[in-house]
Amino acid sequence: MHEVFSVVRIFTPNKFDFIQMRYTLLALFSLYFLTFSFAQKKSTLSGTITDAESGEAIINAKIYIPAIRQGAVTNTYGFYSLTVESGKHTIEFRSGGMETVVKEFDLTADVIFNIEMSSEIKSIDEVTISAKKGENVNSARIGQIDLDVEKIKTLPAFMGEVDIIKAIQLLPGVSSVSEGGQGFYVRGGGPDQNLVLLDEGVVYNAAHLFGFFSVFNVDAIKSVTLIKGGMPANYGGRMSSVLEVHMNEGNNKKFKIKGGLGVISSRLTIEGPLKKDKGSFIVSARRTYIDVIMKAAIPETSPFSGSSYYFYDLNLKLNYKLTEKDRIYLSGYYGKDVFTYGNKTDAFSVDMPWGNGIAALRWNHLFSNKLFMNVTSTFSDYQFKFGSEQDEFRFALKSQITDIGAKVDFTYFPSTRHKLKWGAEYIYHTFNPTSVSAASQDIVFDTGEAQKLYSHESAVYVLDEFDLNEKIKLNAGLRYSMYQHVGPFKRYIKGDISNPDSVVNYSKGDLIKFYSGLEPRVSGRWLLSETSSIKAGYSYNYQYVHLTSLSAVSLPTDIWYPSTDKAKPQKGWQGSLGYFHNFKDDKYETSVEVYYKGMKNLIEYKEGALPGDNVNDNTDNILVFGTGQAYGIEFFVKKAYGKLTGWIGYTLAKTERKFPDLNTGNVFPAKYDRRHDLSIVAGYKLNERWTFGAAFIYATGNTLTLPTSWYVQEQSLLFNYGARNSTRMAPYHRLDLSATLYDKSYKVKQDELTGEPIKVKKRFRSNWSFSVYNVYNRANPFFMYVDSNGDFLNGDFKISVKQVSLFPIIPSVTWNFEF
Amino acid sequence: MQKTFYLLIILLAITSCTKEVKIDIPGFEEQLVIDGSIETDFPPVVLLSRSKDIYSPTNIDAFLASFVSGATVKVGDGATEVVLEEICTDNLPQGSEAIAAELFGIPVAELANYHLCAYTTFDASMWGQVGKTYYLTVTFEGKSYTSSTTIMPATTFDNLYWKPDGTLTDYGYSWARLSDTPNQYDSYKWEVKRINVGIDGQPLDASYTKTYSPVFDDDFFDGLTFDFFYENPMVWDDPTVPDEYKGYYQLGDSVVIKLSKMDRDVFNFFEKKYVQMTTGGNPFATPTNIPTNIVGGALGVWAGFSTSYDTLYCVP
Repeated sequence: MHEVFSVVRIFTPNKFDFIQMRYTLLALFSLYFLTFSFAQKKSTLSGTITDAESGEAIINAKIYIPAIRQGAVTNTYGFYSLTVESGKHTIEFRSGGMETVVKEFDLTADVIFNIEMSSEIKSIDEVTISAKKGENVNSARIGQIDLDVEKIKTLPAFMGEVDIIKAIQLLPGVSSVSEGGQGFYVRGGGPDQNLVLLDEGVVYNAAHLFGFFSVFNVDAIKSVTLIKGGMPANYGGRMSSVLEVHMNEGNNKKFKIKGGLGVISSRLTIEGPLKKDKGSFIVSARRTYIDVIMKAAIPETSPFSGSSYYFYDLNLKLNYKLTEKDRIYLSGYYGKDVFTYGNKTDAFSVDMPWGNGIAALRWNHLFSNKLFMNVTSTFSDYQFKFGSEQDEFRFALKSQITDIGAKVDFTYFPSTRHKLKWGAEYIYHTFNPTSVSAASQDIVFDTGEAQKLYSHESAVYVLDEFDLNEKIKLNAGLRYSMYQHVGPFKRYIKGDISNPDSVVNYSKGDLIKFYSGLEPRVSGRWLLSETSSIKAGYSYNYQYVHLTSLSAVSLPTDIWYPSTDKAKPQKGWQGSLGYFHNFKDDKYETSVEVYYKGMKNLIEYKEGALPGDNVNDNTDNILVFGTGQAYGIEFFVKKAYGKLTGWIGYTLAKTERKFPDLNTGNVFPAKYDRRHDLSIVAGYKLNERWTFGAAFIYATGNTLTLPTSWYVQEQSLLFNYGARNSTRMAPYHRLDLSATLYDKSYKVKQDELTGEPIKVKKRFRSNWSFSVYNVYNRANPFFMYVDSNGDFLNGDFKISVKQVSLFPIIPSVTWNFEF
Repeated sequence: MQKTFYLLIILLAITSCTKEVKIDIPGFEEQLVIDGSIETDFPPVVLLSRSKDIYSPTNIDAFLASFVSGATVKVGDGATEVVLEEICTDNLPQGSEAIAAELFGIPVAELANYHLCAYTTFDASMWGQVGKTYYLTVTFEGKSYTSSTTIMPATTFDNLYWKPDGTLTDYGYSWARLSDTPNQYDSYKWEVKRINVGIDGQPLDASYTKTYSPVFDDDFFDGLTFDFFYENPMVWDDPTVPDEYKGYYQLGDSVVIKLSKMDRDVFNFFEKKYVQMTTGGNPFATPTNIPTNIVGGALGVWAGFSTSYDTLYCVP
């Protein structure tokens, strides 16, 4: 007891203590009051930033207060909100290629400030300093890259078609599947693990012509962002990356037409105001004329006469400002590839169309100058059809995915150090992986019922981007995703000798399987100095849809398949850590990033599976499931501005898979496992008229499975294949060059008043874009196969390994214009 | 579908080039290859050979050396079992030359120049009978390999006919009408030979040839009666036939069609075999290893066939 009293005594305040405490409390209250008062004396500057010439919202424009080294950036809709202490502030508004605006504000209350920024007027010796100056070091996001569409246009273009997916394939950590291919692999993930969004609508097949061209018509594209690690919580449904593409909104001040005439395709874009400064539209169309060239090139006597191929796509976007606080956007994309074969002398014919249709309707609403809302409804459809006829025999195959979805996102900007985002999304999936029909004369074969799979995918998320202090910035989020596979559905259970096959019938709306999971996401930046920082990121992702592929290259016949009771959702995590350092006033940006990615429930076809034969069967009965891991280190050096710009990216990486039912359960390299990947990209602006570009790529050869031995059965030569992906092709390397010749941007006229010659900006502008693909004519391996010919008995029998290379040196020219 | 993909490849390959390369293909392991079959009213015949490394020599000596002899091969029907005799081309019993020539793909006159051996029996009690299951045991170099196959009931055509294709008048495919037996698994193999006499006074074809994709099962048409067609496989490599007439039978041809039936495991082997043969090297297809019905680590197949024969006269 005594001891207890002693203790109490020690902490019993005496008079002095009491006075001291009273002052301390008073001081604390004062401080709190001051803080509170201080909080009351904050003001919010908000508004939208648009292009003065076109009225288009400017994404990622920077609003910066140098004195307190704080700022904000505009969102996808050009909106910004900046809450700072009331008082006088000098605020800079910056965006790449735009005149920087510096303005004094005396913020005594909330202010709405909408600004139109004008294009920079500069001489050739001046440099363009991007709005993203310093972002490499300062941003909390790791693994995010914003690509400048205008710079992409100056890169060498394959057959004259400027291509944003080929541009992102030049970034470290991103590799292409094969020569010219559109499938891209991010840090060892599969091509289905990339969430490709066009104005928030999901693009399931981002390729034309079996993967050689992308579906994105660059004239209709405004911004491209790739997130390859540390995916924020507002994105989900895919494991590896996000490729977010936004379309132009259209000029809301005047009508404009632009287009291009190329070697294999042409394009035309028309844009203009629906109502000046209120709303605008843009329509952009593109079509190839390979079919016309083929028709001329292939003689009628050729067995391939009658072959025809073309693709076209159409982009449409409308936007309208309903009130100062409400704006709506309607975006649409429709593209199709069509292959046909029909020879006059041949009773065999083929018709094979495939393509995407995407629509998104969005509504922006500003609840206050700190709270922004975006509501989106989306429709996405991908179809592949194949039909053939031989006399009275008819065969047709169809595969289709249809998504109908909605999402709502709120963004709250309580202060410059704090940005809160939350929202929810929902998608109703309808999958028809494969349905087949066949008939001979009036006999219809039993090809089974068309198997449609229905599912609900939904998620809620919250994320907070905040500065913990001057040095540490965090982006922390949590996503909770859910997935329900629902009826109607027929589950075919394959039996064995003792158990016959059986079928379980699910009725409409029956819950067949429910999956859900928490997806924590966090990334952060620790500023070491003004020019260097360390960043780290962790993300956990669920993926409820899968792409199944038989081939070594991306094909329209690759089948999307949803999670079912048998095919579990893919899930995986990625951790990354990077050091970022800028030199010479941010002219040079450098980084080193390491990453590790673990993946579960990956899918592949069983060995020897023949998809398409889905009679009384489910596609997932011929799938097998496994795990994967990928790890690597990426080096990146970029020269951000100056006459010479560009980057060098190098990746050292490894990607492996392990499936109990493949390769006798042994680990095997993924087909796109590449140990080394180097890309060097350079652009040089010689003068106002000439710009040059170059891209060099070196990559370890892809893996493939080749036969290790041969044997004879019934006089047929047969092969026995070895371990999966155990053979590696020769390295891939290539140099592409480009040159763009712009016309003069002005014409000289005599001033009517002074008679002096003056420069007047030309309304009609044009440029010639020249590209040379594969300058030194490298025969890069596209694929390899084992070939045999001759006869044993004649003594000329031979087995050899053949390498097929696709594209030799290919020059191209495109004429672009706008007025 | 296959034809379409070849057309697609043509599209992509307009500017492509192909060259021979030498790259490391790891993982070779020599295996015994068993090529055995038993047909209705015919003796079992088994060929044994070894698989060869992909870069191994491919001359005639290497080919001959891949065949093996000295194995013990037994076939039984569940009740009795016989040991097959090893018979070689340089020492054939009289009257078996034609069968051996077809088996090895060597002209009769040249058989004696080679030492190629097969295992068979003259014990007619072990010749193929419909409905029976035949068990194979091969013992070689201390290892034992086993398999079984069943000879399924035969099916005959309802009708065979020929008609000109498209706008042609003298060339067309062979057509057949088939009634599949309902509620049972059926798989078929289609082989043909022309028996009309050529300018040399001999039948045009000495032996049966398989078509481009000669096996099919009744997944799509269980219990249905339907018409279908097959091409003429003999003329693909015939330089005297113009390209535009390849794959067709000519007006006046007489064609014997051999329709064989087999069990599911045998069909799986042949289905994947022809998939491999038609897609080998195609980048749009997955590498296909052929599933064997032999237990013990050998490659190949032990196949039982029931056969039916019909003759098609190519007249409208």
